[in-house]
Amino acid sequence: MAKAQILAIDAGGTMTDTFIIDENGEFVVGKAQTTPNDEHIGLMNSSKDALDQWNTTVEKEFPNLLAGVYSGTAMLNRLVSRVGLRVGLVLNKGMEDMHRMGRGVQSYLGYSYSDRVHINTHHFDEPLVPRKWTVGVTERVDLFGNVVIPLYEHEVEGAIQKLIDQDVEAIVISLLHSYTYPHHERKIRDIAERMIKDQNKNIKVFATVDYYPVRKESHRTNTTIVEAYAAEPSRETLAKLDQALREHGTDFNLRIMASHGGTISIEANELARTCVSGPIGGMVGAKYLSDNLGIKNVACSDIGGTSFDIGLITQGDLDIESSPDMARLVLSLPLVSMDTTGAGTGSYVRIDPNYGNITLGPDSAGSLVGVCNPESGIETVTVSDCHVVLGLINPDNFIGGAIKLSREKAYQAVKEQIADPLGMSVEDAAFGVTELLESQLRNYLESMILGKGYSPSQYACFSYGGGGPLHTAGYTKGLGFEDILVPAWAAGFSAFGCGAADFEYRYDKTLDLHLPEKASDEEILAAGKELQAAWDELKGHVGEEFKKNDYTGDDVKYRLFYRMQYQGQLNDLEIEAPISEFKSVNDYYTLVKTFEDMYTRVYAKSALSPELGYSITGAIVRGVVDVPLPKIPKEPLSDETPPDSAFLGTRPVYWDGEWIQAKIYEMEKLLPGNKLDALSIIESTATTFVVPPGFETYLDEHRIFHLKELNQ
Amino acid sequence: MSEQKYDHKVINELVEGTLEWYQIKNMMSSHKDPERFKVYREVMQERVSWDDPILLPLGLHLYIVLKENGERIVKCDCGHEFCDYKENWKLYANIFVRDTEEKMNEVYPVLMAPDPEWQVIREYYCPSCAAQLEVEAVTPWYPVIHDFEPDIDTFYKDWMNLPLPEVKSKG
Repeated sequence: MAKAQILAIDAGGTMTDTFIIDENGEFVVGKAQTTPNDEHIGLMNSSKDALDQWNTTVEKEFPNLLAGVYSGTAMLNRLVSRVGLRVGLVLNKGMEDMHRMGRGVQSYLGYSYSDRVHINTHHFDEPLVPRKWTVGVTERVDLFGNVVIPLYEHEVEGAIQKLIDQDVEAIVISLLHSYTYPHHERKIRDIAERMIKDQNKNIKVFATVDYYPVRKESHRTNTTIVEAYAAEPSRETLAKLDQALREHGTDFNLRIMASHGGTISIEANELARTCVSGPIGGMVGAKYLSDNLGIKNVACSDIGGTSFDIGLITQGDLDIESSPDMARLVLSLPLVSMDTTGAGTGSYVRIDPNYGNITLGPDSAGSLVGVCNPESGIETVTVSDCHVVLGLINPDNFIGGAIKLSREKAYQAVKEQIADPLGMSVEDAAFGVTELLESQLRNYLESMILGKGYSPSQYACFSYGGGGPLHTAGYTKGLGFEDILVPAWAAGFSAFGCGAADFEYRYDKTLDLHLPEKASDEEILAAGKELQAAWDELKGHVGEEFKKNDYTGDDVKYRLFYRMQYQGQLNDLEIEAPISEFKSVNDYYTLVKTFEDMYTRVYAKSALSPELGYSITGAIVRGVVDVPLPKIPKEPLSDETPPDSAFLGTRPVYWDGEWIQAKIYEMEKLLPGNKLDALSIIESTATTFVVPPGFETYLDEHRIFHLKELNQ
Repeated sequence: MSEQKYDHKVINELVEGTLEWYQIKNMMSSHKDPERFKVYREVMQERVSWDDPILLPLGLHLYIVLKENGERIVKCDCGHEFCDYKENWKLYANIFVRDTEEKMNEVYPVLMAPDPEWQVIREYYCPSCAAQLEVEAVTPWYPVIHDFEPDIDTFYKDWMNLPLPEVKSKG
C-alpha cells in the first residue's frame, strides 16, 4: 500500500471532491456533500470516502500528507448570486456612476457569438456596490502621475462617515490613475482606518494601489471590490479548513489554486485571484507533465460536458492574460490564458428551424448527459446521445456504471429530432453530428495556434477531461501535431494539476517608461532605475507573503518579468528578464534584444519597428519556494500485445457509413508498451478513448497514450 | 420536435412585460419558435374588447383587422377605426408637432433636443382614446411617413403557411 502524498480539494456548490495522490501518482477520488457553513465537515467526509477505497483512514494517512491544495467555488458563487459583503466605494467626485455603468463589454461577456451580435440580449447585471454606498472625493492625478488637483482632505471625513453610517462591512478606495501616484488613496485609507478605529467598528479598508496597482480603472476597481465583496468572507472558511486539517494530523501549509497558475497561502494578501482557479488545473498539470517529459510547446485541450477549453504552453511557460473577465466583470488579475468554446459532450444538438442545418450548443445538458439518461428529464438530443447511438459509449459502463444509459431513448430522440427532419439514417445523422463537432473543435484549435503566430507542427497536443479522448483523433486529424498525448489518468487531470502547482506568488505593477530608438545613456539609466525600483517593490511584496509561512529570503527563487512594446502600438508582450538586476546601459540593450526576439517569434521579423521607440509598460515578479509535488508514474515496458485481461470483447460501432467490430479494452489493465490499432475503444470509469480508422496508439512507461495518425 | 414552446400565458406575460429578464433572454437566444406568430396573434385577440379578427399587429396599439364585409382596416385597441390598411392611418390621427424650442423642452432637458429648424418631432394620437400611437423625428418639410405596407396574403400563404383568420359567424 502506497502512502498518501498530496491532497487536492475541489469544493463545488453541491459536492466536495477530494483527490488523494500517492507516491506512485495513483489517486483515489472521494465525494461528499458540500457543507457551505462549515466546509471542513464536507472535506473530512469526502477524505474519508476517498481513503476508504484504499482501506485506510484519515487518522492514518493525513500525517503522511506532504501538501494540500484547495480550490472552491464559494467566492465565485458569492459574486454570481450577489451575496457578498456590503461594500462602500470611494471614487473621484464626479465619477460616482463609473462602477454602476461598468464597461460596455460587461453587458455581453460570457455570451455566445450569436448573442453578442444581437444587441437586444445585452444586459448589465446589478453592480456589486450600489450607487447609494458610493461617495466621491475631490482630487485629480493625470496619467503621468502629476497632481492636477490636490486631495481635498476636508471632504474625506464626511464621505467616509456617510459610508460608516450606512453600515458597510468594507470600504474600497479607487482613484483615477492612482497606480502612478498612490499617495492620495493611501491618505484616504489612513483617515478611514483611524475613523473606524475611533468608532470601534469592524470595517476593512482596501485601497486599489495596495492590491492591484495597474492601469484600467474599471478593471482595477472591480478587482478590488471582488477582493472585499467575495474573497474576504472566505478567509474565515479557509482558516477553519486549515485548522480542521491540522487537528487531523497534517503538517503542511494549506494552499489555494490561484488564477496565475500557482498556488498561494490561505493567508495571502490578495485572495480574489483564487476565484477563477477551477478550469486552469488541467493546464497547470499539463505544464508540470511537459516540464518533466522535456516538451517545450504544448497545446492543451479539455472537453467536458459543457465546453471545450484550450490553452497553450509555449517555451515551457503558460500564457498569461492580464485583463481577464469573470462572472461578467472585467478584472485586473493575471489569469492563465485559455480559450473556451461552448461545445462539449453535453451540448444540445438542434436543427435550425429557419435554415434546416444542424447547430451545436451553446447551451448544454452538462452533467445530465442527455436524453439517453432516463433520469435526466432532458428532451433535446445531445452529442452524448449520438455517441450512444454510434456505439462509442458503452451504455452500461458510463461513469463505471453509475448511470445506466438507454440506447433506445437516444436512438428514438436522434431519429425524431435530427435524422427524420434531414432525411438521413439515424446512424449517419449521429455520425454527422460528431464530425461537425470535431471539425468545429479542429478549426478552433488550429485558428488559436495560428492566431498566436505559431504552427501546430511546433506543438504537442495534450488531451484530457472526460470527453476529450473520445474526440482527440477527430479534432487533431490533419493538423500535423508533433505528438498527441492522452494521459491514461486523463479524467482526474485537473486535480492532478492542482496538486502539481508550484507555491508561487506573482505581483504586477504598471509602468510608463518611454524611450526613443536612440535614447541617451541618462534616459536609459533613469528608466532602468524606475524598473528596478518596481521589481524591488514587488519582490518585497512576494517576500512578505512567504514570510507568513516562515519562508525567508534564501528559500525564495525570484523570476523577474517585464512588459514591453513599441511606442504607440496597442499590445505589449510579457517577457522573462534575462537579467537579475538592472545595473547598466547594457542591461537595457539586453531587454530590448529579448523583446525583439519575442516580437519576431510572435509576429514577424519584418514587423520590427525600432524607429517607434520602446515602452516598458509593466514590471512583474514571480517568487517560488520548493514544495513537494506529485510523482509522475513510471512503469517497466512490456510487450506490444495487450494482456488478455485488458480485452473486454468486441462491440459494433458505426463509423463513416458502416458497422465495424471495435475491440474494447479496459484502460487500467493495459500495460506500458502495449500498442493498439483501429478500431479500438479504451474504456475507463470517467473517460473513453477512441482509436479510429487511420490511427494507432501506444502506451508509454508514464501511462500516457501517444496517438499516431497513419499515412501522414 | 422538442423545441421549447411558449403557451398563451407566457406570451401574454411577454406582452405585459412581467417576464423575468432571464426568461426573455432565453427566448431571444433560442431559435424562434415557428408557431410564435399564431400564438401571439391569438394573445392579441384575447386582449382586445372587440371581435374583428386581427390580421396583423401594426404597432403598440394598432392592428389590421378584418371586417365582416371583407374590408381590411386599421383599428386601435380602444375600438377606434382609422382607414383601409393600404392608406396611411396617420392622416386620420390627431397630430402634435414639436417645432419650437419651448415644445422640445417639455420632453427634453435644455440643450439636449434637436434644433427645430432642422428637425421636428411629430406625435400621432388616437382621436378616441388619446393613446400615443407613433412618433417620428423628421426634417420640418418631410412628408408624413407611411411606415408599413404589408402583403398580408403572401405573408399568411407563403411565410406562415397559415389560413387567413375569418370573421366569426354570429349566432
